[in-house]
Parts: sequence; structure tokens; C-alpha cells
Amino acid sequence: MTPRNILRYAYYPGCSLHASAGEYDLSTRELFKKLNIGLTEVPDWFCCGATPAHNVDELLSLSLCAKNLELAARVGGDLAVACAACFSRLKTTQHVLSESDVKRQQVEKAIDAPVPLNGNVKHLLDILARDLGLERLGQAVTKPLFGLKVACYYGCLLTRPPEVPNLDCVEAPTIMEDVLRAIGAETVAWSHRLECCGANFTLSRPGVVLQLSHAILDSAKAAGADCIMVACPLCHGNLDIRQKEIEGVYSTHYAMPVFYITQLVGLAAGLKADKLGLDALIVNPMPLLKEKGLL
Amino acid sequence: MLLSSETMDVSFVRKVEALSGTSVRRCFQCGKCSAGCPMATFMEHPPNRVVRLLQLGQWQRILAGRSIWYCASCETCSTRCPNKVHLSSIMDALRKLSWDDEGPSKESYVQLANKLFLQNIRTYGRQYELRLAAVFNVKSGQFLKDLMLGPKLITKGKLKMFHKKNKNMTEIEKIFSRIDEMRKNGEAL
Repeated sequence: MTPRNILRYAYYPGCSLHASAGEYDLSTRELFKKLNIGLTEVPDWFCCGATPAHNVDELLSLSLCAKNLELAARVGGDLAVACAACFSRLKTTQHVLSESDVKRQQVEKAIDAPVPLNGNVKHLLDILARDLGLERLGQAVTKPLFGLKVACYYGCLLTRPPEVPNLDCVEAPTIMEDVLRAIGAETVAWSHRLECCGANFTLSRPGVVLQLSHAILDSAKAAGADCIMVACPLCHGNLDIRQKEIEGVYSTHYAMPVFYITQLVGLAAGLKADKLGLDALIVNPMPLLKEKGLL
Repeated sequence: MLLSSETMDVSFVRKVEALSGTSVRRCFQCGKCSAGCPMATFMEHPPNRVVRLLQLGQWQRILAGRSIWYCASCETCSTRCPNKVHLSSIMDALRKLSWDDEGPSKESYVQLANKLFLQNIRTYGRQYELRLAAVFNVKSGQFLKDLMLGPKLITKGKLKMFHKKNKNMTEIEKIFSRIDEMRKNGEAL
């Protein structure tokens, strides 16, 4: 058995982290290096199929995820996943296939290999809060984020549906707030932390995203938050990239930076802005961080 | 259109129940699913009515509308249902049946996006986001959609101009073709 103080994971970044969410990938790698947590990227991983696959073709969705689970098992160790949607799909696949022998046989035929159903799939949040633990996370902090008021945004798939992710309480999770308090930040109580941002409608029906994300930004602002923290590249895209457009359509002003969890934890662990990809954020976080003395 | 026994077709509903692994008969119309649904305002039939129409065998009405394509799969309904009706799985099943038959829904943008997304996986192994957005704009005839975002995303390194294909593309092609074959042989839905 590996000793408890040596953490090592297979790593599944997901498509977004190799493209539009490059800063999430960068900050994850840098933070984990700093915290002495090993990450080995699964070689030649595929797209998990995300929402479009399970929307119209369950067998394809299950097969793509099963293939990725099989590729990850070759690396060994628990699988660390950064994207909330990939995390949800991989966990759902394990759940569905362990409940239904018929579906498992179909999927095994499609990928021509047995599906490893017992491997642990873990979101980065879980690794930081539980595997590493809040105490050790707190010890790694060199620059606590005192005075930064953060709205923790969970979105949909980190907690729902109750039988799948098992990350935290489905309607009142606190795992993000726990992590942020461990690194010295303040968290605000707000209404929209579990509401949907519009997700992949950003491509097909952006009007949906504008409406839903507007409500989320409004709620965060009303609660007095300085910024929002997310753990999903799609939520980030909708709240950050589309924020300017939302301000225009609804004649309002937020200038509300949206950080990935690894960026804020990385900042507290003493990593510099260039190692966290802060310059890739569309809503410029520098004025806020300078004002709070965090740079 | 009035409800009538002529438009009632229960065999389709049985198929939905089999695919989704959940029973529409468990629903007693409390409406919690629609109350929590972030997309209900965009639907002509909110989630609880979708289930009611299924209970009454009136599935054509559901497929002809856009409700199922406006479901964001946020899982709020399934989480809150007191009778454990897994509504998001029902939505998946309805979309699959509509998709396979190239059903009559007028909501074409969401279907187009889904189609291009899946094609991208088969061609590249992973999502090539720039191509996905560009082809969507061309095929949907919205050439100017999000054009203003483009340059910003490119300078921020968020949109990669070029995309490297996976090295193991034969494996993904095999998965797609094995599934096609299983369906042809009637071994899978």
C-alpha cells in the first residue's frame, strides 16, 4: 500500500482543458506539483462524449467513457478528473454499468475489453479536500487569501444526481467553502450556487446561457462577492467569456472575475500569476487581486 | 388537439420506460421537477407535463415540440423527484428515439450541435472547438454568431487554430463501427 503522504493519480484533463480552459490545466499541474501530488496524464484519452453523446446515444456515451476508464486503468491509481462534466459522465458510466449486466455486456463488446468498474474516479475538489485533507492544505498556504470574498459556484454535475457523484450533500454541499476557508478566503452565502449556467447551449442557443448566467452573476453580486470560483470549464466559459455580452444585453455591470479552484488555491500556495494562467481569464482579475494585496 | 384514445400509443411509452429504466406511472404530478427546472421557461411542455403526456400515451406532442431539446441535463428534476422518476433519463430516451427516427422536432440548432460534436469525436478523438463553432455557424446559417468573441479568445490562447488528432484513432473508429454493427444485428438499441 502506498503511504498516505504520497499521493499519485492518473489524470484525465478532458477536451476543454487542452483548448479553451488551458489555464485550468496549467494551474492544476502547477498546484499539484507544489503540493507534491503526482499526476500522470492518461495517454491518448478520448472525449468522454459529454452531454451530446448521452443526450442521443447512451450506448456510445457509455462506451466512450468505458474506453477512457480502461485507458486510465493502464496508468494505475485513482483517476483525477478536472472537468465537472467529464467527472459526471465517467462516474455515471461506472454506476450504470455496475447496475445493468445487459448494458455492461454491450459496452464490453463495443470496446472489446472488460470495463474496470472498481477504480476510483475523483474530482480535483475531492482530492484537495479529502485525500490531501484540509489540514495539510492549510499547511501549504504561504499567502492566505484574507479579505477575498468568494461566491463558490458548484453548478449541476458536481453533486447531482444524488446516487452518482457522491462528492458532497446534493442540495447543500460545502466542500468548496471548506477548501476556501482552509486557504484563508471568505465565502458568501448566495442563492444560485447550484443553479444551471446554460452549459453546452453556449454553442446552439446562446440566449439561454445569457439568461441563466445573468441570474447567477446577479445573485453573486447581490451577495457581496468579489469573485466567483468554479470547478468546471463550461461554467467558466459561460460566466467569464460571456460576461461582457451579458452586461450589454441586461444593461448592467459586474466586472466579476471568475477563477478556477486551482487558481485560487495556487495563489494561496504562493504560485505566481504566470503559473496559474491568470492572464488567460477574460474578465481581468488583476485589479481585484492588487486591491486585496494578493499579487 | 384533444386527448383521445386514437392518439394514445402506449407501446412507445413502454420503449421509453425500457430505455430509461424508470417508470412514468410512479409520477403523481407534484410538479417539483418543473418548479426546479432552469429550462422550463423555454419549453412548451414543462417536465411534469412531459411525464403526464407520456402517461396518457400522447408522445407525438412531445416529440413535435422543442421541450426535450431544451433540457440541459442538469439533473435537478431527478434529484428532487419524491417518487424516484428519473426524468433526465426519460429525456435522454425521448431524444434518442426522436433522433433515431429523425423525428419532427422543429428544434434544429441543438440537434445540429449534437451531431457536429459527435462527428468531431469520430474524426479527431477529442473536441476541436474552433472547428465545432465554425462549422456550426456555417451549417446553421449564422455566419456572424459570436464573431466578436473570436479574436479575443484566440489572443488569450483559448481557441486553438490547429488540432492534433489522437494517435489511436483506429480504436475510436472501431468503437463507432462495432456499435453500428450491433445495432444492425439487433443486439442493441
